[in-house]
Amino acid sequence: MNRRRVTVAAAAVGVIAGAAGLGVLAMPAGAGPAPVLPDVSAESLVESVLTAEPAAFGGAVEVSNDLGIPGIAGLPQLSDGESKLRMWTDGGGRVRVQLPARDAERTFVDDGQTGWLWNSADQTVTKLPHGQVAEPKLDLDPEGQRSAPPDPVSLSREVVDRIKEFSDVSVDGTARVAGRSVYELVLTPKPTERTVLREVRVAVDSELRLPLRLAVLTNGTDHPAVQVGFTELNVGPQDAGLFAFTPPPGAKVEVPEVGGPTEEEKALAQGALAEAKPETHGEGWDVVLTAKVPTDALAGLAEGQRSGREWEGRDNPENVDVQGLLKQLGKQVSGPWGSGTLITTKVGGVLLADDGRVALGAVPEQVLTEAIAKVK
Amino acid sequence: MGTLVASRAPLGRQLRSELRWIVRRPRTVIGLSALCLVPVLAGIGLWFAVDGDGAAGPGLAAIVSGNGLVLPIFTLFLALPLLLPLVGAIWAADGLAGESQHGTLRGLLISPVGRLRLLAIKSFGVATMTLFAVTLIAFVGAIVGAVLFGGQGLLTLSGNTLPFLDALGRILLTIVLVTIQVWGVAAIALAISACTEHPLVVMAATMAGVIVSGVLGLFSALDWLQPYLITSGWNGLIDVMRDPLPTEQLWNSTALAGCYILIGLSLAAMRLATKDS
Repeated sequence: MNRRRVTVAAAAVGVIAGAAGLGVLAMPAGAGPAPVLPDVSAESLVESVLTAEPAAFGGAVEVSNDLGIPGIAGLPQLSDGESKLRMWTDGGGRVRVQLPARDAERTFVDDGQTGWLWNSADQTVTKLPHGQVAEPKLDLDPEGQRSAPPDPVSLSREVVDRIKEFSDVSVDGTARVAGRSVYELVLTPKPTERTVLREVRVAVDSELRLPLRLAVLTNGTDHPAVQVGFTELNVGPQDAGLFAFTPPPGAKVEVPEVGGPTEEEKALAQGALAEAKPETHGEGWDVVLTAKVPTDALAGLAEGQRSGREWEGRDNPENVDVQGLLKQLGKQVSGPWGSGTLITTKVGGVLLADDGRVALGAVPEQVLTEAIAKVK
Repeated sequence: MGTLVASRAPLGRQLRSELRWIVRRPRTVIGLSALCLVPVLAGIGLWFAVDGDGAAGPGLAAIVSGNGLVLPIFTLFLALPLLLPLVGAIWAADGLAGESQHGTLRGLLISPVGRLRLLAIKSFGVATMTLFAVTLIAFVGAIVGAVLFGGQGLLTLSGNTLPFLDALGRILLTIVLVTIQVWGVAAIALAISACTEHPLVVMAATMAGVIVSGVLGLFSALDWLQPYLITSGWNGLIDVMRDPLPTEQLWNSTALAGCYILIGLSLAAMRLATKDS
């Protein structure tokens, strides 16, 4: 009798332990206490990021997107949600990036001479020899590389000065990202800036001075509209085999045409660009980009692009009905400047006037309409 | 004195007799043979699909051409959502509810074998048969894959080819991971099995649970429920086909199944301990 009671009690403990285990698994992993790091000024932190040496590391990056763009069929990447990628680099230009999908994977390997793009869904390999085509840039630290010819320190000073002209830069304590200690660098627009963005937070690794997490926060929410950050990071030399790629025997290897778009398409695009007259209005955070898109040119360009893609044999999302898509995404607005469709996201808006004028910026609706009124 | 010796029957002998008891049922043999057909049918289907233009299908099917060792893994993932839970549920249903239906459980409960030990033996039987069924599917799959598609090594979703031994390791890893997931379902089935004397109720309840969890996973409003559902970990198991192997999701889903095993076996023990003989 007693033994039976013990058994029941033990079993009850087992049930509770199992349920507690489920709860623990469901909880997101905590980041741990903020580390204690020597104080650093915001200016020197930004400068050290811009002048940092590229390091060898491997890790996983998570992108969480909460832009508030309504879901569009055929363009799932734009919709809200989380996606992951894994990347490795040897710090010397050899890179491997893997984009896992639900049951497929895209892998990009740059072995120093050749870029390889593998897509498991159709078993294709795209070969991109260096210096032949503009390959997809996957620089980890574009500023650092670009600053190589001029003096990196003075250039980074210049960048800091430009940033400080329109923003307050500060270091908001420390934190842990992917198990590493970071400084939280915060860029806040000056009060005079008319933008929908509240602040941009960059978590900078205290040792490597590599940005490990970037979050864009907007007015009215605590939750970042976009956050890109490492969830896992192993610093140190990486397995050399990761940066080599041999196309598997059954795969189709494609080498894209060097010319890219044909001359006719280029002319068409150039014509459209000349007619569009892109302009910027305002400075700093409330800069608005405006342009004028002749509707027939847009249609022509879309036509050319479509045939070009088909000719290359790539699979691309089904042709998008532009007008229908706009109606689906935006709301109709009108004012002294005219009328059109306004698409707003958490990080800004796009105003498309019915006569082809376009204004785009990380600003509220009023600033967009002011800018579009200036477009002739 | 003689009864004391009889009550301490060696565990090994009890486990062996339980296995023999399961294997001697004709439906076990028929069921296992039917399971062998799954990789054969999947292989033939893919073989015809590969002949056409483009990819043979989505996901793993896309890389099956010239890559036969992917077939066992493909088949296991194909069978995991419905077929393997059904197999686990059948054995769990036979273990306790089936015995109960035939009136043989009564004898076992009043026999001098402890009830926890009885549950341990029954769980061992279910667990071993599950592992055997999963391994059988993978084994037949590997042979069918090698015959129909050939190929050396294993091409991963990431685009690199693993050498033969690594490929074998990945297949074994898949067997272990899939088996643990089926154990999670079977443990819950065993708990249901301890509460009823109708094997059909056990199977129906278990399959309904699996299907409902799958359906719940489709609603984004119920995202908070996701981490608690055993079925939500199954999609992530495809990580075994990525290289380098990402372990986070694999650990997570295995721990989730572990919690289900603990809960299921504890509930079964609770019910068995309080059952009137």
